[in-house]
Amino acid sequence: MEPDNRTKPAVYELSPAQHLKKPSSRSSDDTPGEFVEGVLRKYRQARLTAESQGPPSNSIDRGQHREASHPGDARVTVEDSEKGFSESLLVHNVSWFCQFRWLVIAVLGLYGAAGLIPGLMDYFSMRRPGIWPFVTSAVLVGSNLIYLYLARTRTTGRQIMFNLWGQISVDLVILTVVVYFVGSLETNIAFTYLFHIVLSCVFFSGRQSLIVTIMAIGMFAACIMAEYVLRILPSMSVFAESGDVEYSSGVLMKLAFNFFLAIGIWLVVWYLASHLSSMVRHRDYELAETNRRVVAACEERSRHMLTTTHQLKAPFAAIYSNAQLLLQGYCGEIPDEALQVIKRILLRCRRLTAEIQEMLQLANLSSMSLESLPRIRMVSTELLEWCISQVDCIAQEHGIVFKMDIRPVTLVGVEDHFKMLFVNLLSNAVIYSQRNGQVRISCKPGPNLEPVITITDNGIGIPADKLPRIFEEHYRTKEAVQHNKESSGLGLAIVKNVAEMYGIRIRVESRPGFGTKFELKFPAQDESSGK
Amino acid sequence: MAYVLIVDDDEDFAQTTATVLRKEGHEVQIELDTQDAAESMENKPPDLVVLDVMFPEDASAGFELARFMRNESEQLKEIPILMLTAINAKFPLGFGPKDINSEWLPVTDFLEKPVDFDVLLDKVSKLLGEGSTTG
Repeated sequence: MEPDNRTKPAVYELSPAQHLKKPSSRSSDDTPGEFVEGVLRKYRQARLTAESQGPPSNSIDRGQHREASHPGDARVTVEDSEKGFSESLLVHNVSWFCQFRWLVIAVLGLYGAAGLIPGLMDYFSMRRPGIWPFVTSAVLVGSNLIYLYLARTRTTGRQIMFNLWGQISVDLVILTVVVYFVGSLETNIAFTYLFHIVLSCVFFSGRQSLIVTIMAIGMFAACIMAEYVLRILPSMSVFAESGDVEYSSGVLMKLAFNFFLAIGIWLVVWYLASHLSSMVRHRDYELAETNRRVVAACEERSRHMLTTTHQLKAPFAAIYSNAQLLLQGYCGEIPDEALQVIKRILLRCRRLTAEIQEMLQLANLSSMSLESLPRIRMVSTELLEWCISQVDCIAQEHGIVFKMDIRPVTLVGVEDHFKMLFVNLLSNAVIYSQRNGQVRISCKPGPNLEPVITITDNGIGIPADKLPRIFEEHYRTKEAVQHNKESSGLGLAIVKNVAEMYGIRIRVESRPGFGTKFELKFPAQDESSGK
Repeated sequence: MAYVLIVDDDEDFAQTTATVLRKEGHEVQIELDTQDAAESMENKPPDLVVLDVMFPEDASAGFELARFMRNESEQLKEIPILMLTAINAKFPLGFGPKDINSEWLPVTDFLEKPVDFDVLLDKVSKLLGEGSTTG
């Protein structure tokens, strides 16, 4: 269709309002599976589920039962706080510990190297460290390489936990050696144990972090005992003036006070950190549980929708078949007038079947929160080709040809939603085109790289005064009804719902008798992907 | 002419299909549930099975019968199966010919209800002519 220069086409824009639901900021990459596939998988596994856990519909019942038995239950809090992390998170923690350890190794090595520079330590009134920084860093290098090797080769939950406990135990021993050489009570070095205590509170359960704290206290106490009480080790310090000297009872009391104060502080820190960590972890489990329930509810809804569609369509299929029997003379000859009635029955059956389908789609869209659905990245070429294939049959019946200029752009969302969106727009373009017409589909990135998709037909067009109403449910222009009686008037309402969900801006340009152009501007890539 | 077994819990629909197929000269038997259908098939293997998906006691009984025929019965494994269901094949929530495979949906062809008789007859004659091609 070539626009007539004398009359301007009417334009209507459907803009996403501020209050409308926007795509969530959650990344879709980490949400396996998609809405439709979930339903298909559910059916694919129907037998398996039935054999192992009961029928699929029971899954939501089990979820609800769990919910009813535990809300606010203190036991859940305790159990949750005792639960560990997933294996992938544990592996991540192991790697993170190892990376951090390289830093510690570097610091020890540098300190040892600084001790080799003549006069440097004397300048700071410090004692030359000798070889202990090299020995401890060498042990740490060796153990770190072993941990990294184990992290790659031993990947079960138990093996990873063994790796983590090995790291903590060796670290505490090495730290105690460092604490001894730096000056266990003469300096504040003993507070470095707090790193391990706090980290264990974050990564382990309350019980396990207490074990780490007790291990730290035990090793520190052993060091102090050997150094100050049993005196089997000479008193050490990085400072030159504090050599191996006899301490007065007053100084010893002060050191003992410092020792118990340090241990007291560690225990308080352990209590606070483990308590906070437990609260955060409990919240995390609550969120995960809520998410699981939402996903289960979505799956149940999909399953329900599938069966409802089936249950509603099945009776019409029977009516349609019986009407066909009459129409095609299987039950003997029928007067022409009666045949016309049967034809109308058949037509209404087909319409009602399609309407049921659309009503269910719309109801499902309207009541659905996008945040609860897994979203994926789709390439426009494949998606649009699929949608075109769905309307190709009607297009061929009407002699309509498609002209495509589709460049690959990425769309992020629920695949079903976009399929509904484009199938509805394409089927409208085909149905409301004149015979032997043309439907043009273009897809390209806009000025801000936002996907822009246009669908243009040279069909009957929409009068300017009726444009603002075309997205209303069940609204159909008189011209549309005259051209095609079989539509439900729900197609564009579905389009509007999907557009609102994703913040898609729709611009409709139409001239009666010449055709209609729908331009869909998707949010820019980073916005649409929620990143 | 062939012996066709229609397995569908919707008796009204099954009767219309049977009428059309009988008119074509086929011998037709209707079974309203899949267990009876399995027994009937064991006694007298049909040349074609027209099979529904959802049955009152099991929403996927049609799948199960198809899998039973393909995987657990030497006698029945080659019989063509035409799946005929009110599940919407076009709407992405449903399933259709694109989902036919030897494990999950081991049927030969797929039609969606309501179905035009000429389409049904065309499929039936093709399946009877070609025999089993899938599964």
